[in-house]
Amino acid sequence: METVTPTNKKPMPGPERNEPEMEKIEVVSPWKDAYWQLKKNKLAMVGIFIIIFFIIVALIAPLLTPYAFNTISAGDRLSSPSAAHWFGTDDLGRDIFTRIVYGARISLMVGFFAVTGALVFGTFLGIIAGFFGRWIDMLISRIFDIMLAFPSILLAIAIVAILGPSLQNALIAIAIINIPIFGRLVRSKVISIRQEEYIMAAKAQGMKNGRILFHHVLPNSLAPIIVQATLGFGVAILEAAALGFLGLGAQAPTPEWGKMLSDSRQFIQSAPWTVLFPGISIMLVVLGFNMIGDGLRDALDPKMKN
Amino acid sequence: MKKSLWLLLLALTLIVVMAACGGNNDPNDGEENVDAANNEDNMDENNGNNENDANDENDGNDDAAAAGDQTLIFARGGDSQSLDFASVTDGESSRITLQIYESLLKFNENSFEVEPSLAHDWDISDDDLTFTFYLEEGVTFHDGTDFNADAVKTNFDRWSDPDSEFAFADDGYAYTTYGNQFGGFKGDDNHIIDEINVIDDHEIEFVLNYPSGAFLQNIAMSYFAMTSPAALEEYGSDINENPVGTGPFKFVSWNKDDRIVLDKNEDYWQPDLPKLDQVIFQVIPDNSARLTALRSGEIDIMDGLNPDDYEMIQEEPGLQPFERETNNIGYLGFNTDKAPFDDPLVRQAMNHAVDKETLISLLYADLAVPAKNILPPAYLGYNDDIEPYEYDPERAQELLEEAGYADGFEFDLWAMPVARPYMPDAERAAEVLQANFADIGLESNIVTMEWATYLEEIETGVQDVFMLGWSGTNGDPDYFLGNLLSTATIPSSNQTFYSNTEVDDLLEQARSVVDEDERAALYEEALAIIHEDAPMINLVHSTPVLAGSDRVQNYVPHLSTSEALTHVELSE
Repeated sequence: METVTPTNKKPMPGPERNEPEMEKIEVVSPWKDAYWQLKKNKLAMVGIFIIIFFIIVALIAPLLTPYAFNTISAGDRLSSPSAAHWFGTDDLGRDIFTRIVYGARISLMVGFFAVTGALVFGTFLGIIAGFFGRWIDMLISRIFDIMLAFPSILLAIAIVAILGPSLQNALIAIAIINIPIFGRLVRSKVISIRQEEYIMAAKAQGMKNGRILFHHVLPNSLAPIIVQATLGFGVAILEAAALGFLGLGAQAPTPEWGKMLSDSRQFIQSAPWTVLFPGISIMLVVLGFNMIGDGLRDALDPKMKN
Repeated sequence: MKKSLWLLLLALTLIVVMAACGGNNDPNDGEENVDAANNEDNMDENNGNNENDANDENDGNDDAAAAGDQTLIFARGGDSQSLDFASVTDGESSRITLQIYESLLKFNENSFEVEPSLAHDWDISDDDLTFTFYLEEGVTFHDGTDFNADAVKTNFDRWSDPDSEFAFADDGYAYTTYGNQFGGFKGDDNHIIDEINVIDDHEIEFVLNYPSGAFLQNIAMSYFAMTSPAALEEYGSDINENPVGTGPFKFVSWNKDDRIVLDKNEDYWQPDLPKLDQVIFQVIPDNSARLTALRSGEIDIMDGLNPDDYEMIQEEPGLQPFERETNNIGYLGFNTDKAPFDDPLVRQAMNHAVDKETLISLLYADLAVPAKNILPPAYLGYNDDIEPYEYDPERAQELLEEAGYADGFEFDLWAMPVARPYMPDAERAAEVLQANFADIGLESNIVTMEWATYLEEIETGVQDVFMLGWSGTNGDPDYFLGNLLSTATIPSSNQTFYSNTEVDDLLEQARSVVDEDERAALYEEALAIIHEDAPMINLVHSTPVLAGSDRVQNYVPHLSTSEALTHVELSE
């Protein structure tokens, strides 16, 4: 993005076309700098490794396993981990490794679409509220407040109860409950940026609101949004698993991790592998996203430099 | 300073006194009682060792000492639909009403042989048309009114006569079980009961239109128990939430989807019974949560034990397993009114798709046998000549092609939300069936909802394919066939909407035949027709298992779905 402006408060001379020159003056762009910072952060790199690992697993799922995730087999009921069934089998004789691998697709998909949905709507509303202020801000902010007043999972349950339990509706519910989180973040960022001199300058030059919003305000609010999106990924996956556990998310025979947990919880003593592996998978993915998110926050925060 | 201390003390004393005086009529009282019961349990455990020592000294005294607190908590998977037994058919309802209500006759605790109950004796005329019942004297309903022949007549009029002031038809009450067991209602051609004559206070005569092989069997059913006429007058159509009978326990409170509390009937007509002071029926939907509650001593008996856990319970100290005899059918019903399930070929195809053996080994721990008839194997009229639909996905696909559904179709598969005796884990079973159907190219979405809603919804006919089952409550084949597959019982218990006049005629004929072989032949014929029409997939006949704390004495699960807890007691 060539429109990046320095985050430290330096008077910004003139219009847009001077900016490339500014970059030459700065030795490193903030994004490049953040990349170096991130690379130095070992935890974040572990997180990235975990997530890339799961993405690859999800992509090549059929190549990893000789079984289908919904093949029921009475003979293999609750067999413990072995060479044939790496993670053992569940109470219907289905291979748990296969289900975990296919489940990675579900979880990553839910995370991606839920976060994207929340991000798009939340950012849009946040920018509008922050930039225009007055009654628009009032209206949008109060709606956010109302939504945040509910415990998020309760709100998600209510939304799914209205829409009917399915993976798609769970995804919509998770996206909706995350909208105010992005919205508030963006709004506060926009309000602080609005006071910046370069925005004043743009206004003074008669630049249209839309152009200011998308060329100046949005790019400068990106850092916290990216951090929140990464963290939100983990939260969304966890929420999807919770809904699945409650029977409100993915429906059978979809191998969703949360649902696998709830289906097998009665075997926690007799066949612990049935809950262990889905549990570990959820934990790893969420941990991975959180580690990246934390790393990004440090890397993108100018105050944390050096 | 001193003054306030005194005030505090006074307030505390008041609270204690008020708590002690709290009547059991308070619906919220149940919660406290359970806590009290739990505390008692813990105390019992602490005192256990001392007690044992004491018992050792008392040689020859092999009766277990009765525990001081006789509150039994019975946990089950779902709530009752109603406490008016005659207008509903679910086992969770009769489980309660059997404690509160009694019929003229009852079943032996181990079989369907009839025994005296409110009627201590009866005569049958030589032509099998007149039945005279001699009623127990000195029996009162829980509201204090006398039980007598008039009360019996009022009750039977309520079910048989749509014009009866207590029929409550406008409030949605329907007595279809009566209609089925007694050949219809007042004025119908096939109604078995011609008239009921009150001879005197304690003698009543039933005159039949034609002989009926199962008349006494029907009289003993929990559906035909005696409600206080005064209570019918008082509560009207709210009688389903204010039951008043003659039984060993009195109704106290009902918190929907939570618990039903019953207290001992101190004026019970059988001396020294019941043994328990209080019975609480607690809803715990999750099978494993229920078992955990049993293990921790929160409850005393649990229904719907996972067959998987059955073996473990046998070994586990402090617990005992119970088995109910096989007397049921778990089935997958088709809505035969709805395309494509109105096509027998589709229904047969889906019959061929189901692998019952796998289902049984996965979900019943082999405590079930595959079903080919709707009747359980020991029943009169069980047709052993029927060739079951073999598990054969290829044949299933051929049949689908023949029916014009070579590309398959998508449908909703309704699964019960609660453990039933015939289906310990319906949602899991639905997943197995879903996989079976997927093999022949049919895509199914598992649908489930709260139990009472489930039962209501399937009566409206919105379902495609639904899981349900039926347990015998009088040992008579007509109870299965007549209720599940005759035109007259659509939709209250026949939710497949299956209607075949040939079958209806055979069932009607069988009802009026007294000779057993003749009846059996008629039922076998009906079963053969039903097999071809395949309105349902007969899945399994299961052996339901329960578990209880070993403090529970004299609990005998009846082979119908439920039993009165009259003789049950808790030992130390």
